[in-house]
Amino acid sequence: MVKKIGIKIVLLVIVVTLLNCIYQFTLLKRDIGQMAPCAYQCLKLPKNVDYVYFGESSNFTTDRNDSTTLSISELIGYYSNKKIIAIDTPAVHAGIYKYWIKQLNNAKPKGIIVTMNLRSFGEDWINSNLETNLNRGVRILKSEPILWNRFLLSLKNFEDEITNAARDSVIQKQWRTKQLHFPYEFKYKTVKQWDNAIAMGLYEPQGQPWDSKRIELTAHLVKNYAFNIDEENPRVKDFDEIARWGLKNNVKVYFNLLAENVQLADSLVGENLVFLMKNNRDFLVKRYVNLGAVVVDNLEKVDHKSFLEKNWPTEHYDYKGRINIAKIISNKLN
Amino acid sequence: MLFNSLHFLLFLPIVVLLYYTLPTKFRWVLIFFASCYFYMAFVPKYILILFAIIILDYSAGILIEKIKGKKFKLLTLILSLICNVGLLAFFKYFNFININLEWLADILGVHFKTQLLEIILPIGLSFHTFQSMSYTIEVYRGNQKAEKHLGYFANYVLFFPQMVAGPIEKYATLGQELKKKVELVYENFSSGFRLILFGLFIKMAIADNVAPIVNQVYENPSSFNSLEIFIAILLFSIQIYADFYGYSTIAIGAAKLMGINLIDNFKTPYLTRSVNEFWKGWHISLTSWFREYLFIPLGGSRVGYARWIINIMIIFLVSGLWHGANWTFVIWGGLHGIVYLTERGFNKLFKFKLNENFSLLNLVLGIKNFLVVSFIWVFFRAESFEKVKMIFQGLIHNTNIPEYKLHYNYSLMFAITLIATDVVLKKNRVDSYLEKKSTFVRWAIYSVLLFGLLAMSGIENLPFIYFQF
Repeated sequence: MVKKIGIKIVLLVIVVTLLNCIYQFTLLKRDIGQMAPCAYQCLKLPKNVDYVYFGESSNFTTDRNDSTTLSISELIGYYSNKKIIAIDTPAVHAGIYKYWIKQLNNAKPKGIIVTMNLRSFGEDWINSNLETNLNRGVRILKSEPILWNRFLLSLKNFEDEITNAARDSVIQKQWRTKQLHFPYEFKYKTVKQWDNAIAMGLYEPQGQPWDSKRIELTAHLVKNYAFNIDEENPRVKDFDEIARWGLKNNVKVYFNLLAENVQLADSLVGENLVFLMKNNRDFLVKRYVNLGAVVVDNLEKVDHKSFLEKNWPTEHYDYKGRINIAKIISNKLN
Repeated sequence: MLFNSLHFLLFLPIVVLLYYTLPTKFRWVLIFFASCYFYMAFVPKYILILFAIIILDYSAGILIEKIKGKKFKLLTLILSLICNVGLLAFFKYFNFININLEWLADILGVHFKTQLLEIILPIGLSFHTFQSMSYTIEVYRGNQKAEKHLGYFANYVLFFPQMVAGPIEKYATLGQELKKKVELVYENFSSGFRLILFGLFIKMAIADNVAPIVNQVYENPSSFNSLEIFIAILLFSIQIYADFYGYSTIAIGAAKLMGINLIDNFKTPYLTRSVNEFWKGWHISLTSWFREYLFIPLGGSRVGYARWIINIMIIFLVSGLWHGANWTFVIWGGLHGIVYLTERGFNKLFKFKLNENFSLLNLVLGIKNFLVVSFIWVFFRAESFEKVKMIFQGLIHNTNIPEYKLHYNYSLMFAITLIATDVVLKKNRVDSYLEKKSTFVRWAIYSVLLFGLLAMSGIENLPFIYFQF
């Protein structure tokens, strides 16, 4: 009986291997188009494209009253006179970009511009639950046999199967236990301590009228930017992969380190948070220049007035902010 | 744990491997713990409800057998039934009863507010309470000896392949199957594999591809035109059949891998010409349960015509309520009862008899029956009468609405595939049908099923519809 079962297993493996090939040549592209449209765009990239811009919601405007609705990528094209194609979708980050970028292998752009969002290195975003669709798209692009990936998709094996409560508990634990490092003495050792101090009114704001909205925004700023990026950060590993892909494929990689509302952080939270933001910026610039990429440092290049949302940390800019960033990037391309 | 999850696809081979590694006398221990683990993957603490049912009916069985005197036996049986039904009523019908009491009191001019429970219904509660109750009734009737071994009885209630959505088994069959000595036989593996493959295919490739279309239309019927609503109504018939038939087939296959036979729950229900025939092929184990433990005790067919009509209606209305704590389910059951009685009345009046051969008349009646059952399913699928109204209004009035452009993907192709499969299989089960085929044909069919399953399954991964009951 063992022999009989053994033969059947071998036969099954052969059949599945053949089905894998059939899938690859028949339905795979259709599935990528449906489940990972951005990756599909990479596969179908026109030959004459100069640069590919990978971005999230910072690329376009959400303000209907904005003087121009041109996106950052379109503005870069305008200022640099290069053919730029944008592949963008909201809330995306390097953990997803890296799979899209690998689909570029058929095309040969001169370079790729990839947004580098400082907040995406923080716990809140790393453990976000808003990525179901993105993860679904990524599952079909992973390096395992494609038929297996497709089957896992139908088994809903494309996201961490943990509840929102469990996610929240991971984030809370990190905020509670992960130490913040300063080259000087700072009385709050963790995000939790800092946040508690804000909530209890122990934290001294920078001479601002202190109401509940400001308290809330201050706490959000701390939760979004108070961390030290190191080599172990999963997002760093994602960006490393992208930089190495560029070196390997001889494609110039530009990281667009997005502008954050540093002025707001400074006025509400103060210099300690700004120190962390700048320190993280320095880490990223140094690391990726060493890995052969160009890091376009826009961290402080957008004025407070140009941020569309003032009551929540985002990277949504008005036309002035977008034009400013586009000009800086196009200068680097030329 | 869902059958259509990686978790189960890893869990099952491990259990089967351990099952054959252990000596027969210890296998019940493995099945017990595996079943507990399987159930606890949903809401762990609800295993305590199952333990309560097990202890209750195990003790009731022994008491009924031991107690002398018919009255005391009956009293014990009634007490155990009250406990089982009470448990079901508490978890499933508490809010439904309260809301209706409030509504009734409002009509009578008395105003009061009741506290609604915010609890998740224990998965499959209706199934294991009904199965367990059948045991105590059978012991009371003297058809079944009380089980003295608590472990075997626990496994009868807990047996993981069928614990959450049936088939609802009698102790005389499943109890014996769980006790018998099972040798490692190749045929059990091949049969089990075929059933699981086919079951997963119809659940994941057919039901899960059809479901998104149905969901979109039922969510917002006013956005869709009459034709799209009509297609969605028909597709729900396909979805629920593929979903439940798929589950049952996987359950039978998983048990078969361990040499345990479960009863068939479906026999081509849509290839039928009347509601009477439909119920002979749809959820067979539940239909049998209602016939044996409700219809016959009510007098069955050996009563006057008026009483018989009442009995039939009771069965269908209770069956509707069994499915869900909502009046839409009751109406769904009631409509089946009315159509059943109308058909029977028509046949009696005109002495109408059908032959079994293929004929145009049979084909027309088959299409008629599918349409009738599909329209009645609307009450089952819609979560409120408001939605039922919207669906039927949309069906009639939305002729001018432009096409919404639903992405049917593979849904229509697979819907036709399911009906075609039934035509090919007739009343055969897929494993025995394949057994008769040559190796080449068999493997060609495996390849098609595997491709459908691996490459074309729906990506929504929806839980089995009947899990909620």
